Amino acid sequence: MESNKKYWKGLEEYNKTSDFVENNKNEFAEPLPIEDVLNEAGLSTVTPRRDFLKALGFGLGAVSLAACQPAPIHKSVPYLIKPEEVIPGVPNYYVSSFKGQSILVKTREGRPIKIEPNPNAGQFNCGTDAVAQASVLDLYDVSKLKAPVLKNEETTWSKVDAFVSAELAKAKASGKKIRIVSSSVYSPSTLAVVADFIAAYPTTKHVQYDAISYTGIIKANENSFGKAVIPKYNFHRADLVVSFGADFLGTWISGEEFTSQYIENRNYKTLAKGKMSRHFQFEAGMSLTGTNADTRVPVKLSEQGPALITLYNAITGANLAGGALPNNVTADKALKLVAKELVQQKGKALVVCGSNDVSTQILVNAINSAIGSYGTTIDLDNPSKRFSGNDAEFAEFQNEMNRGEVAAVFFLDSNPAYDVANAKAFTEGLAKVALKVSFSDRKDETASLCDVVATNQNYLESWGDANTYEGSYSIVQPTINPVFDSRQAEQSLLIWSNAPVKDYYQYVRNNWEKNILPVLGKTWNELLQNGVFAAAEKPAGTYTFSLSLAAVAPSVVSTSKSLAKDIELEIYETVAMRDGKHANNAFLQELPDPVSKVTWDNYVALAPKFAEEKGLKEFDLVEVKGSNGYAIILPVLIQPGQARGTASIALGYGRTKVGKAGDNVGKNAFPFLSFSNGTLQYATTVTISKTGGTYELAQTQTHHSFEGRDIIREASFAEYKKNPAAGLGKKEGGHKSYDLWDKYEKPGNNWVMAIDLNACTGCGSCIVACNVENNIPVVGRDEVRRRREMHWIRIDRYYSYEEGDKSVTEEKEIAHMENLDNVSVVHQPMLCQHCDHAPCETVCPVLATTHSSDGLNMMAYNRCVGTRYCANNCPYKVRRFNWFNYWNDSRFDNYLNNEFTQLVLNPDVTARSRGVMEKCSMCVQRIQAGKLQAKIEKRPLKDGDIKMACQEACSANAIIFGDANDPESEVSKALRSERIYYVLEEVNTQPGIGYMTKIRNTDSPKTIA
Amino acid sequence: MRNISLIIRRVWKSAFMVTALSVLIVSGTQAQDAAAGRTIFKEKCTSCHALDRDLIGPALQTVVPTKSEAFLLKWINNAPALIASGDKEAIEASKFNPSAEMTAFPTLKPEDIKNILAYIKAGEPKKAGDAAAGAGASEEVSDFSLAGVVAVILISIAVLVILGRAIKMLERLILQKQGVVIVEEENLSMAAGVNRLFKNKKFVFFFILCLVISLGSWGWMGMWNTGVNTGYQPTQPIKFSHELHAGTNQIDCQYCHAGAFESRNATIPSLNVCMNCHKSVQARDSHDGNISPEIQKIYNALGYDADKMTYDKSKEKPIEWVQVHNLPDFAYFNHSQHVVVAEEAIRKEKGLKPNEPVCFACHGPVNTMEEIYQYSPLTMKWCINCHKDTKLEVKDNAFYTKIIAAHEKIKKGEKMTPAALGGLECGKCHY
Repeated sequence: MESNKKYWKGLEEYNKTSDFVENNKNEFAEPLPIEDVLNEAGLSTVTPRRDFLKALGFGLGAVSLAACQPAPIHKSVPYLIKPEEVIPGVPNYYVSSFKGQSILVKTREGRPIKIEPNPNAGQFNCGTDAVAQASVLDLYDVSKLKAPVLKNEETTWSKVDAFVSAELAKAKASGKKIRIVSSSVYSPSTLAVVADFIAAYPTTKHVQYDAISYTGIIKANENSFGKAVIPKYNFHRADLVVSFGADFLGTWISGEEFTSQYIENRNYKTLAKGKMSRHFQFEAGMSLTGTNADTRVPVKLSEQGPALITLYNAITGANLAGGALPNNVTADKALKLVAKELVQQKGKALVVCGSNDVSTQILVNAINSAIGSYGTTIDLDNPSKRFSGNDAEFAEFQNEMNRGEVAAVFFLDSNPAYDVANAKAFTEGLAKVALKVSFSDRKDETASLCDVVATNQNYLESWGDANTYEGSYSIVQPTINPVFDSRQAEQSLLIWSNAPVKDYYQYVRNNWEKNILPVLGKTWNELLQNGVFAAAEKPAGTYTFSLSLAAVAPSVVSTSKSLAKDIELEIYETVAMRDGKHANNAFLQELPDPVSKVTWDNYVALAPKFAEEKGLKEFDLVEVKGSNGYAIILPVLIQPGQARGTASIALGYGRTKVGKAGDNVGKNAFPFLSFSNGTLQYATTVTISKTGGTYELAQTQTHHSFEGRDIIREASFAEYKKNPAAGLGKKEGGHKSYDLWDKYEKPGNNWVMAIDLNACTGCGSCIVACNVENNIPVVGRDEVRRRREMHWIRIDRYYSYEEGDKSVTEEKEIAHMENLDNVSVVHQPMLCQHCDHAPCETVCPVLATTHSSDGLNMMAYNRCVGTRYCANNCPYKVRRFNWFNYWNDSRFDNYLNNEFTQLVLNPDVTARSRGVMEKCSMCVQRIQAGKLQAKIEKRPLKDGDIKMACQEACSANAIIFGDANDPESEVSKALRSERIYYVLEEVNTQPGIGYMTKIRNTDSPKTIA
Repeated sequence: MRNISLIIRRVWKSAFMVTALSVLIVSGTQAQDAAAGRTIFKEKCTSCHALDRDLIGPALQTVVPTKSEAFLLKWINNAPALIASGDKEAIEASKFNPSAEMTAFPTLKPEDIKNILAYIKAGEPKKAGDAAAGAGASEEVSDFSLAGVVAVILISIAVLVILGRAIKMLERLILQKQGVVIVEEENLSMAAGVNRLFKNKKFVFFFILCLVISLGSWGWMGMWNTGVNTGYQPTQPIKFSHELHAGTNQIDCQYCHAGAFESRNATIPSLNVCMNCHKSVQARDSHDGNISPEIQKIYNALGYDADKMTYDKSKEKPIEWVQVHNLPDFAYFNHSQHVVVAEEAIRKEKGLKPNEPVCFACHGPVNTMEEIYQYSPLTMKWCINCHKDTKLEVKDNAFYTKIIAAHEKIKKGEKMTPAALGGLECGKCHY
């Protein structure tokens, strides 16, 4: 039964620190202060006994009095004129699009409450990422402006229009420059509006820049192939993926889309056919993608260039200088192996690199050309339109402002005062501009420096469109009337440029009917129903890299050399916070980072050994000082797998003017960025010095610990091919089991789940989807520190490592401590297992948690008295206790504690009250709704009628849900896989959720090490 | 004395009634055609026409006298055809409301149309109630008389008591005169009796037992019924009568509560549903020609001006009804599940007549409720009992075919109730 590998969630577990041991003794780390209240000394405590008794007496009296009220007065206010399509109590769905993801917006009584992937989107249905799932909360953000702002005072649109028009007329008369500064715009209609504006004011220029820049790739492709584009990457065509620091499953370009493509070659269906892709990751910080790689090799930032040169030399037999990795033998060996395999897999391989350096990307292009990627795994003819920012143009814009040449500037979906490298140069320049207009929805860092804040609408209130790839178009349609007195930025621009059509809806429609729909051969109504259409793809041409690398290689080498001093700093995006635009979204702030499991903060990630060398411990506060003099103080996080000599700091934190939830969370890392060789560089060097204090990060990794029990099953692909049940550790013939309890009859349906550990990337989109669907409260940083996060589904991230061909067993662990660089990672989604013999059910003194005849472990909140016995008895640690009324308590003021934000709640799910236990209900509201729909339509329930919120959100289809009593259902088939095991099945809880072993397509480790 | 005057008045009143009624009957036979016309008018015309004011069509008492009967016979019978035939008068008439054409009524015979015209000419008949003006007064008398009777009884009791006392006093005086010494033992013996009683342990025990039982059962009942609001009838912003709408007018429940058949919420109708009828139905007859104040509330909420027939969006003010049936938030109830899927089963279980809507099973005889009140207790026990007892009717519902096949117990003949299919499990309603 036992797997001989040792898995641990964090170093404190690995090292069995006294804190860890103490905290994990009990289900609830903190005891209740009962003794303090009840003993005599309690009189002087905050709640003395007498006060307690008084309160008790008063409470009893108040409750009795309240009970005397004959009936509660609940007002019920019907529509005056009910819209035809609205039936109160029945959701309506509208297709839309969010950051290139085709989505379905669920609305109830006219308010959006959930984002789901668009099932009609065909190839564009790639699930949704965590940001898309959480985006619905942004609509109900109380920190937004309620009306436009002119000179720091709320005003009316007519006054704003008069002011802006007059100033624009002045600017036009003076002949000075007008600039529209935005992040990448890939909406054809917005681009048309901007073009109209430029026609009206010819001195205008549209400057696009992205906080997370991809200029390097665009310029490299322009240089190599004459096409200034981001190509379309086809991960599903790649049997071998090699990534140099590109977090393509998480944040790189289009994570959710690449995830769905990548997993196509690794999920249980492909494995059943005996196939699996292979993935090497060379990176400094441990990224989400790195945790999923078959082989991950820590490589310092300064070694990335030489590594690429080594690879190029090995593939092509060229002899470029600088291709040596004297200090990283493992990487060197791995690269030789990768080169051999890349050549073997010609045309079925893909090399990607996360660098924004043009020379580095040109080198990557040369490698991809050599392995025949163009036309197969890389498509330059149907390029991605998502990012078109140009770092140099923005730098030039800053210079123009500082030279006093700019008369008016408009900020559209951009916040340079926060997210550019040199914010000082920007703000100084901005002060010289006469008319400064921000289209932000709040007074953010940039908007507060502007004369006018022309409050833009949330995308759920807006019309719009998106052109994510060449030839593919999707629509953004409003799902609610504007809540505040806001106006779409495009409409404002149309009004100010005095365009003939000033209504943006009409403008979008005209634009589509004239330019796009005829090409697609579709009608407007079809578009509103389907959401996304694509013209036939152009055939992907093959491109050959034919330029000389004579100048490129030295540039790569010198960039690398410049990084090889002090401590190399990698500045990266996290899956939740991204570039910080959604920093006020409490769902995202509380989403544990997929790798570090830290919430509500950023930190300096250091390798364990390296931190030890520097005399730093976890949570020590350090000052990080950049070469440009910028310094911040952050806590240290010890990150296994981090390349020694490097540090990583996440972007997107340290906002100061975003709102209640996101202000002053973490520190801003954007000022560490540097501008060199025409692009922004996300690698730099810093010095780190200890400041003396400590700061406890709210990290969930060791909460809900399994205390070292053996719950992960893993096998290599080679072993799997020999025996599909490899790694399960099942003995021949199984073991005898005895039941204490009677068997439950489940004659009708038996709702179960299968989770493919090989498909789960750990991205966390399911967590947010579950939060939104099930009204799960956000508890805040302090409560997370007390281990009180409420997430019904969590993703446990386990480290383990292999050195040589010896697995680390419990006995040998200490001896191998020094090498924590080469850890491998397994992500395991953990939620209520809906055990047939559930330990929680038997201990509940009030029968609040019971078993249903369709296999669910039910939780009746109104019955629960909060003894918490069930949580103590749950071996999976999936039960959550409501310590407070998180949605109605001034101490938790960052989220639901206002009537406006409460509109996001799902009306079909009870909002739980204080003192009540809760846990995954297997979206019972969806099950019931699906059954009812079938009953009304008088038809049998079909497989796929009912989908769980987590399942829908998953880009990788790692979660399969259905009826185990239907032998033809997807889940029944999945559960028949040889890879299936049940967590802690030896306890005989008979869980309803089966997991499939993690398969790693690793070589025998000897080949590399 | 009073009684005699009462009797006289009653006799006088009934005599008056008889005369009034006979007069009415006589005049009734004379206005036979107008009465028949009124019936047809109410049935076919009121949705567009009123006698005295413009609605979708013109005010008929103004416009009809200006037209010839021959024209009207043709026009009412088939106006579209008349317009199409190019009749000048018809074309002129159609200009009153270009957006709505007069409906054709080919089924109306010429006599019917004549009856309608007679009704329009005669106008709304004066009500019998108005004629019997004395009726209101007689009501008053009877109320007064009741109070009088009570007063008489009270007074006579008082007189009896006083008389009794007086007799006692007199007896005593006589006895005193006779020289008998009277000891005031009566009162003493009363107090002593009570004292003695309370020293009797058996009695005290019995007394306390009774007290405990009665208080206990009172408390028990009180607690069980805490939060049970059967009969709850809050004051609503509009005195909407289900008796009139669902009872007298036989409007189907679905017409207003459409949600009950497709959603978890039965839904209170939005005001555009009310306006389908109340644009023309204004109950002016019973309010001296004015719009009923309750209907006016609908107009006020919508910002509707009944004279100009225009809406003013700026005056809109939604109506805040008071919810009568309050389920706690943690209990999920879906109307469509019960009304659509389980209609047959509920009808059978509750023994509803074919003409009664399934809604009556829980909401009671809504068609007799002047103002709606909570008919059922809406307790969990009440839900559960029904889920235990009701036999499901699933013959033509394919959803259940597989489910039944899977249930061994049902195949063996166990009654197929919601409970047998797991309908009593917590998670089916609480999530």
